[in-house]
Amino acid sequence: MSVAAEPTAPAEHGWYVYGVVEAAAASPPNARGIGTPAAPVVVGSLAALVSRVPLDEYGEEPVRARLEDPAWLEEKVWAHEEVLQNALQTGAVIPFRFLTLYRDEEELRRFLVERLDDLQGVLDGVRGMVELGVKAFVDRDRLEAAVARDSPAVVDLDAAIAQAESGRAYLLRRRRDQVVREECAQLLAGRAEELHGRLREVAADAAVNPVQTREVSGRTEEMLLNGAYLVPAGDAAFEATVAALAAEQASAGVALELTGPWPPYNFVPRDLGAR
Amino acid sequence: MTAADQPALAEEVALLELVDRVLNKGVVLSGDITLSVAGVDLVYVGLRVLLASVGTLERLHESPRPPALRASARS
Repeated sequence: MSVAAEPTAPAEHGWYVYGVVEAAAASPPNARGIGTPAAPVVVGSLAALVSRVPLDEYGEEPVRARLEDPAWLEEKVWAHEEVLQNALQTGAVIPFRFLTLYRDEEELRRFLVERLDDLQGVLDGVRGMVELGVKAFVDRDRLEAAVARDSPAVVDLDAAIAQAESGRAYLLRRRRDQVVREECAQLLAGRAEELHGRLREVAADAAVNPVQTREVSGRTEEMLLNGAYLVPAGDAAFEATVAALAAEQASAGVALELTGPWPPYNFVPRDLGAR
Repeated sequence: MTAADQPALAEEVALLELVDRVLNKGVVLSGDITLSVAGVDLVYVGLRVLLASVGTLERLHESPRPPALRASARS
């Protein structure tokens, strides 16, 4: 134990903030959480859901090392999510980013008082809503085969290659590969735009995130859309649209992956505290 | 859509989706010690290595999960 020089601000603990909810709906979150059980810190009409965590584990330096431990990360991100999911059952939730810590409760309360109106506005915007994720993947081989079959430019080049002597055929083949790549990229961009357009029509709000590489997604297919959609909780229209699109796109080798409902991670401002 | 038919894959998808959100999204505050996790891709790749082991997948099935994936979300 350290010397008790500052009894009101113990250096060895931080306040981990999962998110902000409406005070009226801030029933005990009934989730294990991170550190001590999650509890509401109420300020006016709002409450932050917080846990006390030891800084020797969650301080900036130690936590960097732990982030490299996938098992630790997995456990903690689920704990974070579980608190928010439980809160989402009773009312609107503003999810905070993983590892948001305050040094003491006073600092947290000060923030909540200062930004009460902004936070209330954000809560009003996401009340009754959940986030759904839609990723679209395409089988690269099938896509290239379709381009080779349907593209007049590629069909012409194939015919020319069949007629050409070997040196010229080599050059034509390289040209063909380039045309296939370009047309695939165009096709993917067009399809992503079309899918996102159709999905955002049936969503209250929508966001497009960068597509992930195959190494990150762990899929053999190529990702062409990484979208997030804000929809009313329990609304069937969005899900029906995803199912319809999936049926439509299957013949083109495009598969859709729907996840959620999530707290509205993609639909809260990123830098609410930065002013 | 396809992932929900395979529990192991569904768990994996849910975890990656979650990491995508909690590490990259959500409110970030000033005046705190929030980490901005650079190199998130490396975190994913680490997770993939973890998930690739059979033991981990078994453990995933045994441990309770919040209702984060559609397949198990609607009661």
